[in-house]
Amino acid sequence: MTKEYDVIIIGGGATGAGVARDCALRGIKPLLVERFDIATGATGRNHGLLHSGARYAVNDHESAEECIRENMILRRIASHCVDETGGLFISLPEDGLEFQKKFIESCLSAGIYAEAIDPKEALLLEPSANPALIGAVKVPDGSVDPFRLTTANIIDAKLHGAEVLTYHEVEELIMEQGRVVGVKVLDRKSGERKEIRSRIVVNAGGIWGHNIAKKAGVTINMLPAKGSLLIFGHRVNNVVLNRCRKPADADILVPGDTISLIGTTSSKVLFDEVDNMYVTADEVDLLLREGAMLAPSLLHTRILRAYAGVRPLVASDDDPSGRSVSRGIVVLDHATRDGVEGFITITGGKLMTYRLMGEWTTDLICKKLAVDAKCTTAERPLPGSSPQKREQTSRKIHAVPTMQRESSLYRHGDMAERVETSTSAKRSLVCECEEVSVGEVEYAINALEVNNLVDLRRRTRVGMGTCQGELCACRAAGLMAEHGKYCTRRAKQDLASFLNERWKGMAPVAWGDTLRESEFTMWLYDGVCGLTTKKEEEK
Amino acid sequence: MRYDSVIIGGGLSGLVCGLRLVQAGKRCAIISSGQSALHFSSGSFDLLSALPDGEAVTSPVEGVKVLAEQNEEHPYVKMGVERFAALAAEAVATLQGAGVEVEGDVAKNHYRLTPMGTLKPTWLTLSGYVRSESAEALPYKSVLLLNAEGFLDFYAQFISDELRKTGTTCRICNFNLPALEIIRNNPTEMRSANIARIFDNEQAVEALSQIISREAGECEAVLLPAFLGIERGDVLARLQERCGRTIRVVATLPPSVPGVRTQIALRKAFERAGGVYMLGDTALGFEESEGRITKIYTQNHGNIAIEADDFVLATGSYFSQGLVAKREGVVEPLFGSDVCQSESRGEWYERDLFTAQPFEKFGVRSDASLRILRGGKAVENLYVIGAGLAGFNPVKEGCGAGVSMLSAVYVSDNILKK
Repeated sequence: MTKEYDVIIIGGGATGAGVARDCALRGIKPLLVERFDIATGATGRNHGLLHSGARYAVNDHESAEECIRENMILRRIASHCVDETGGLFISLPEDGLEFQKKFIESCLSAGIYAEAIDPKEALLLEPSANPALIGAVKVPDGSVDPFRLTTANIIDAKLHGAEVLTYHEVEELIMEQGRVVGVKVLDRKSGERKEIRSRIVVNAGGIWGHNIAKKAGVTINMLPAKGSLLIFGHRVNNVVLNRCRKPADADILVPGDTISLIGTTSSKVLFDEVDNMYVTADEVDLLLREGAMLAPSLLHTRILRAYAGVRPLVASDDDPSGRSVSRGIVVLDHATRDGVEGFITITGGKLMTYRLMGEWTTDLICKKLAVDAKCTTAERPLPGSSPQKREQTSRKIHAVPTMQRESSLYRHGDMAERVETSTSAKRSLVCECEEVSVGEVEYAINALEVNNLVDLRRRTRVGMGTCQGELCACRAAGLMAEHGKYCTRRAKQDLASFLNERWKGMAPVAWGDTLRESEFTMWLYDGVCGLTTKKEEEK
Repeated sequence: MRYDSVIIGGGLSGLVCGLRLVQAGKRCAIISSGQSALHFSSGSFDLLSALPDGEAVTSPVEGVKVLAEQNEEHPYVKMGVERFAALAAEAVATLQGAGVEVEGDVAKNHYRLTPMGTLKPTWLTLSGYVRSESAEALPYKSVLLLNAEGFLDFYAQFISDELRKTGTTCRICNFNLPALEIIRNNPTEMRSANIARIFDNEQAVEALSQIISREAGECEAVLLPAFLGIERGDVLARLQERCGRTIRVVATLPPSVPGVRTQIALRKAFERAGGVYMLGDTALGFEESEGRITKIYTQNHGNIAIEADDFVLATGSYFSQGLVAKREGVVEPLFGSDVCQSESRGEWYERDLFTAQPFEKFGVRSDASLRILRGGKAVENLYVIGAGLAGFNPVKEGCGAGVSMLSAVYVSDNILKK
């Protein structure tokens, strides 16, 4: 392979996608490599909270300012990924009102609109909130779909000349005379290995960036912190609920799409655990106990699943003990820091600041490549986010049944018009819970780089509803095979592993209706269908 | 209201038990909330396909002897290994008597075709379903696989690729009918039960028979998804007659049309024999006196008590809510029966969904007569049958339907002996 890129970006999370888009828009040719699908790491495993910054206002003025700026930008450029719900910081009797005063002052000084409202008014605004509340502050929180946001960045990057390789794992960095000049990647689907060269390599691997940096002989002191969350079976609240106190476990309840999310816990984990984390029964109990303080009805609400992500916390360079961690953005130019040319690490930060992280990184890339181009990512809407086009699209597809049309527009914005809806067969539903049609599944399979059912789920919400893939998984596997994504043998393996992936999130919360659903899934797939895991099949 | 026996739960187990009791002259009522595991039946009834250690069973009568060595808490073992074959024969007779035609042999499992195209051992299969005596291949060298266009709950390619491996050639053909176009207009309607209703109509059967005659060519057999008629049970027979061909059906994703039909057939037989089937009612409470249950109360009957000499709990497991898993533990919600379960929630599950899950073995504790234990003591006149029993894994051991029917026969015998 002789093809050379200006930049290779390692990591297909929001950060990597943001860097790729910014580079492409400034005329720099990037290649993004990701070992799984896009948004599989921390990007896809958080609250999906469109932070107003209020949470950081008291302790971290800088982060708070960054958040509110990016919050306003995302509302403009990523409207189809954002739900402008608003947020409340509620004070319970045990919290007192002391913190509230300081909180509002800090918010206002960081440029965050914050207004104390009457508790009764707060309950009218969000009836699910704990009626015992003694105070409430309105802030411009919202929710953001991290996967949709990452996809939109990837789509735009590709429109402007970026290339993307998913399921490609970087095994080595190519070093020549103390300089990083490319990567050796393993194509996880074909098993093929190849070398790809570039002028600069950007490490945007999140917590996995720790090991990527090591491949260049560089040490970054990262601390993996596990955060567990619970997903509830319906949208319990319409306004983001926070506790008005010093940030603690399980004190944010975020509505997103058809569900609500409570999180998070926070605990240290080892590096060898970060690829496969299980939520424990204790964590589930803690999340429920604390979550019920925000919205008491959570105790009686069905929990769909539990999952955990890893925050890439970075210790300051001058503190090897790792005690002083920052949640701020960390851009490391390894040329000046470690004497390794052509290598940049972008880490720290948070989903909210992915765009700013992209901007800072691309500024540094431009400097290194002597490119004189300004960042435009704060002004240019992402594909799918044009409000006029969305309205037009909605009119174009008016014959589609209302629920299906709204779901499709919600998920794909103005790109919804690409979903084939002309015949009743295309409008037939694969997933009843989430109103996903045959046409939408086919659109994802053909246009959105789907390799397996988990990829398909991220793009369409197939299998994310209350039944967690009971019938739709089998239907979708059939469609995938029909469209030549794989043979039927692999379709069945994929189906089994998809069901196991669903089970991983269900097992920690499998009581009540969730256990009923799991038992049904087992009877159906293991019993009626005789589906087995791969190992048994080979036997 | 007074009956001789009252059964709570109107699925396979409750119906078999009720049928035997009314046929023996008992006044019997079944309280049914409406749905049961029959609604997602595979079209077959398993008796014993594998031992707890995973070893495959080819002969259930032989296998149950080994089972006794591996798990003495298994319901089959509690009922007595020596009675196993007789109980199974009674169960078959009860099904046949109700007009549910099944084929199978207690001494030798046969094989059913799964929606994935694989062959799975089983005991009884509803007539009309494709089946094979061999674990290796179907008895046909070439088949035509017909599916309704756009019916996603049956994926013919899965089946055809598997069959090809076993030496059966397979041709796939999708058909369309004007009546299908109508239901297709509503995006959620293309499901087995809705399609089945189309074939209650003579015209659709005629149209399908023409399609079969046109497409089948040299094929030895024609396979269709099991969606032929909800009200009428003779659709397959009429198709075969018209086409002069071997036509068989294959299980679909739920709902299972033949399963629903089986439930209806059993219920009608029970009612014909004089039983009272309270559909859409739920037992809510009970009264007891001197170690006996005296009466129960239901949702629809309010404070009108239902009294009986004997009560049978046939409410199933988690899915049917005969067992309810709470965050703190598993309970049997009606009588508060003793439930066999692991200590902590962390021990309920295995990480691989496709391995034996500990929670599947949880269930209501009972004595040798399958009388329910409460506080460690057997209740004189309260029995448990079916999926709510403790000590077995219906899926992994392939014994769910068998346990349901055999325990139903066993308990009806125990009640009749009194």
